[in-house]
Amino acid sequence: MRSSLIRQILILAALALIPGLGEAVYFRQKISWQSSIPPSELVTVDQARTWAGNVIWVDARPDEEFARDHVPGALSLNEDRWNELLPQFLAVWSPGKKVVVYCSSLSCNASREVARRLRKEAQLSDVFVLEGGWEAWFKKR
Amino acid sequence: MKTHTVAFALSTLISLSARAELKWEQTMIELHPTPTDKQAIGHFKYQNPGKTPVHFKSVHASCGCTTAQTQKDEVPPGGSGEITATFNIGDRTGTQVKTVTVETDEAANSKTVLTLKTIIPQQLEITPTFVFWKQGDKPDPKTITVKVGKEFTVKHIKVTSSSPDFQTKVEEKGNGEFKIDVQPQETKNLVASTLTIQPEDSQKIFYATARITNSPVVQ
Repeated sequence: MRSSLIRQILILAALALIPGLGEAVYFRQKISWQSSIPPSELVTVDQARTWAGNVIWVDARPDEEFARDHVPGALSLNEDRWNELLPQFLAVWSPGKKVVVYCSSLSCNASREVARRLRKEAQLSDVFVLEGGWEAWFKKR
Repeated sequence: MKTHTVAFALSTLISLSARAELKWEQTMIELHPTPTDKQAIGHFKYQNPGKTPVHFKSVHASCGCTTAQTQKDEVPPGGSGEITATFNIGDRTGTQVKTVTVETDEAANSKTVLTLKTIIPQQLEITPTFVFWKQGDKPDPKTITVKVGKEFTVKHIKVTSSSPDFQTKVEEKGNGEFKIDVQPQETKNLVASTLTIQPEDSQKIFYATARITNSPVVQ
């Protein structure tokens, strides 16, 4: 009687594993992921505001979203028109200025890409990604 | 007791296999556009092998640079179709991974993430794309390195400065590498120049910026 009970428990446990294994094998690519940013390259809205006067805000969102609204004084720099917009940004950049890049929200990736290219290609330092993006700034404005 | 267990197991398996669910031909597509392509387009094909229709509730791209379209809102039993994902390359470089999240009214797995991986060929890799001198600095030359992408052959490049305030000199290092020396005439005035870098026999133009900046902000 006892061994029969154990056997049934094992069978049920094995059956319960089937859908899980199926998910793992067939739906592995359904997991969305995003590369993480080192904490030293992230900045909060409150922290960025303390840099007032020594910060350049960079809007990495598409042109239409920038045209709708943006952080006052922010410059548009997106990858759709990188070659055209980068010289405009570099014309106002100066050594010692901090650069804060934002996109729509916590889940967007554009600000990470723009910040990465400013660091790697233009070799600028003090480039940060705004935590929570435009959404976070808008909530606290 | 044994009969109950077997019946339970069978009913579980049957219910799992009978559920309405879209079957995707592939959920990840890798694209290799040419250097002149403006867009990369992926076709995600699906089928409905179930016995009930499946409806699309939403199709949402992870980035403003990607659009996704369904051919229809309802997929009848036995029906098939595709979702077209269009990635606008713009001035992006390297490997770009964008996702499209598809939500349906399926009982299980109502959300599917489709991944579009686009490998954008890079003819020239320019480092850095920005050189600057602080006002009053010694006007020494600074170097920009240009590397030719693996799948390309470039024997010569032409570099032009938009301003006579900066002079450029190109040196061919061999093995698909060039050195551009950029030198300002002087560093008294806040001037800037756009450097256009063009491989021979190519319409594609690459850019770098040279500038005299003001001195750092004193905190």
